[in-house]
Amino acid sequence: MTAVSIAGVSKVFNAGRADEVTALSDVDLTVDNGQFVSLIGPSGCGKSTLLRLIADLTEPTAGTVTVAGKPAAKARHDQEYGIAFQQAGLFEWRTVRRNVELPLELRKVSRAERRTRAEEMLALVGLSDFGGHYPAQLSGGMQQRVAIARALAVHPPLLLMDEPFGALDEMTRERLQAELLQICAKTGTSTVFVTHSISEAVFLSDKVVVMSARPGRITATIDIALPTRDEAARQSPEYFALVTDVRKALRA
Amino acid sequence: MRRVLGVLGGVVLLMLLWEGYKAVGDPEGTKLFGTRVLPRADDQSMPHLLDVVRRLSRPELTGGRPVWHVVFDACLFTLGVTAVGFAAGTLIGFILAALMQRFRVVERGLLPYVVLSQTVPLVALAPLIAGWSGALSFGPYPWEPWMTVAVIAAYLAFFPVAVGLLRGLQSPTASGVELMRSYAAGWWRTFLKLRLPAALPYLFPALRLAGAAAVVGAVVGEISTGTRGGIGRLVIEYSREATSDPAKVYTAMAGAALLGLVVAAFVGLLELPLMRHRRRVEVNVI
Repeated sequence: MTAVSIAGVSKVFNAGRADEVTALSDVDLTVDNGQFVSLIGPSGCGKSTLLRLIADLTEPTAGTVTVAGKPAAKARHDQEYGIAFQQAGLFEWRTVRRNVELPLELRKVSRAERRTRAEEMLALVGLSDFGGHYPAQLSGGMQQRVAIARALAVHPPLLLMDEPFGALDEMTRERLQAELLQICAKTGTSTVFVTHSISEAVFLSDKVVVMSARPGRITATIDIALPTRDEAARQSPEYFALVTDVRKALRA
Repeated sequence: MRRVLGVLGGVVLLMLLWEGYKAVGDPEGTKLFGTRVLPRADDQSMPHLLDVVRRLSRPELTGGRPVWHVVFDACLFTLGVTAVGFAAGTLIGFILAALMQRFRVVERGLLPYVVLSQTVPLVALAPLIAGWSGALSFGPYPWEPWMTVAVIAAYLAFFPVAVGLLRGLQSPTASGVELMRSYAAGWWRTFLKLRLPAALPYLFPALRLAGAAAVVGAVVGEISTGTRGGIGRLVIEYSREATSDPAKVYTAMAGAALLGLVVAAFVGLLELPLMRHRRRVEVNVI
């Protein structure tokens, strides 16, 4: 079974009006179970729209979106995915632990189980000591880690991320990338990751999907087969070759 | 603690200003080109504060209850009316804000009238409300005059709550709302878990305004409907004796001011347990 399957999807905003925009045109995409797929492209290429279609936060004008073998709307209702945005978007009136518990609360998970699950997730992102803190007391990178913990709290088979590290500094960003890979490997989660950083896409992904704008469409799909994903990998010739491939695809 | 000291300091400063002006000001007031620009400072217009305090302990009329007792009872009466008006106004404001947030159409249709409602002069409105409500009753319980006053207080109090809370309910970012949507949470659960907590920082200043408005509404309502028993009425009654007993009217005014402070303090207390995270933020560890 595939994690995400998108077939013939188009998205038109403001259809029939003067400001009509074709955000996506005839997109096909498959994400296999456990696969890490990045969507990359210039602003306005519809990569975020594509992610929002998978999340059923917006509906396609044409085509079908299937998540975990179900229509996207059903998958959203069953909480088959967790999502994280560029802004951590934590609820400032809740402690870190209660932020992570939020999706569980909405699923009516018992208090004791919520607590255990939140602790487990905070341990996963290395924030066990900060459960009782409020978000405003944490740095940007820590907040983003809480957001990831929150997205993973319901153990979703799919993780959707919209430029989650976009607002972070380079060093924090690289550290979180490595952590994210470990988490995904540990939990076996499939991931769709929107970014506009080529190096980030190559380092993280099994597959990089290159998109172009007006109308938004997929122009290339590049398979990434790095032997390892560590600091050495970032220096390897294969890595640089792949970065060049993606850059060429973006220019094409 | 610092806030309590601040309030006390403010009171002391006001007292110093009062007595200071009285000491240096012209008893006949200062006139500039025939227009009085500074008030008279004679004992008739500005009695000594000590006289006002002394007046509190003397009887209202010969052989009557002491003034402080009368003022206290009147304040208590008005406090009750204010509380009912404040509660009703807050409830109505809350419902209106929730409806306006939920339905865009309601916001567009209602908000202008909510704003308009506050431009109607209260003095014109009070007899009208008194007239309508005279015909009402709750089953066996007849409509009491104080209820009219409470309605007027509520009429003033609902406005800041409706407008402030609406802004607060609309304050969550699009990503916050989308996050709730990704959890398949409907309007009600989004309201409870996201919109309402996010609205609290907007709600409390609105409640403070509503508290003040309810006091003003109750005092003015008492005066313009001629309801007996409250501090508003007492101010009017005592001001008739201002020429013969100038300190007396100031006792009633001090009572009204105190009432406002009590209501403000009460609303301030409401805030404490709900805004914990705001205070903790100051303890920045990282």
